[in-house]
Amino acid sequence: MDRRKFLKASAGAVAGAVLASQLTSGLAQGALEGEDLANLEKGLQQVLGKGFKDMTVSQQVKLTAPTIAESGANVPVEIEASLPAEQVKAIHCFSDKNANPLLFTVILNGVLPYYATRVRVAETAPVRAIVETKDGKFLMASQSVRVTVGGCG
Amino acid sequence: MPINILVRFTPAKPKAGEEVRVQIVAQHPMEPGTRRDASGKVIPADHITELNVLMDNQLIAQVKPGPGTSANPLFAFKMKASKAGQIKVTCKDLTGQTGERTADLTLA
Repeated sequence: MDRRKFLKASAGAVAGAVLASQLTSGLAQGALEGEDLANLEKGLQQVLGKGFKDMTVSQQVKLTAPTIAESGANVPVEIEASLPAEQVKAIHCFSDKNANPLLFTVILNGVLPYYATRVRVAETAPVRAIVETKDGKFLMASQSVRVTVGGCG
Repeated sequence: MPINILVRFTPAKPKAGEEVRVQIVAQHPMEPGTRRDASGKVIPADHITELNVLMDNQLIAQVKPGPGTSANPLFAFKMKASKAGQIKVTCKDLTGQTGERTADLTLA
């Protein structure tokens, strides 16, 4: 995991050199709480045939999920893309630490790029909304959900 | 027993061209296959694997929920209410049970 090594290395260098405030801002961009890229990568490869590095973080994807969920068995998730409806092919949703990281796939054909559902999250981990466009791009939005009681055990 | 599906439109009677939210709820336990019962035995997986939404017999959306979808799941979409028509929802689960429900979308 090159990205992780890079983050660790850069975080260490920053901590040695500069103020703590700069360190926290650097971490906020890099890691989300409970991130597990190895497990996520497995799911992405299996479902999309793409890796995490092929995902583009985009402001055009809006993911609404609670930051703290009391029960992991019932987490409301809302995904909206500010793209024309005809450009969006599918919406995928993943959670890093679930045994099966894929939460759902929705193929859209004539409805607006919006989807809301309730998912199970095994433990505190980021939920990732991935919007697949017709021209083969993967736009991603992530948000960490803190879970007190897991939804899969 | 067939899977019971409920369909609701918000607003119930949209004006032509207005955005309408289609809410679908399927009554299903959605067992992920990882939970254990009181005696410690794994409850076998039983969840909906496919849900199709058709408008006048044309597929407009298809959901493939994995084990990571909650019990009695909600599926909500938004669409432009350009014309009145019939929404048909069909689904099937891992044990081969199916469910079907039709609802008429009428314009104000």
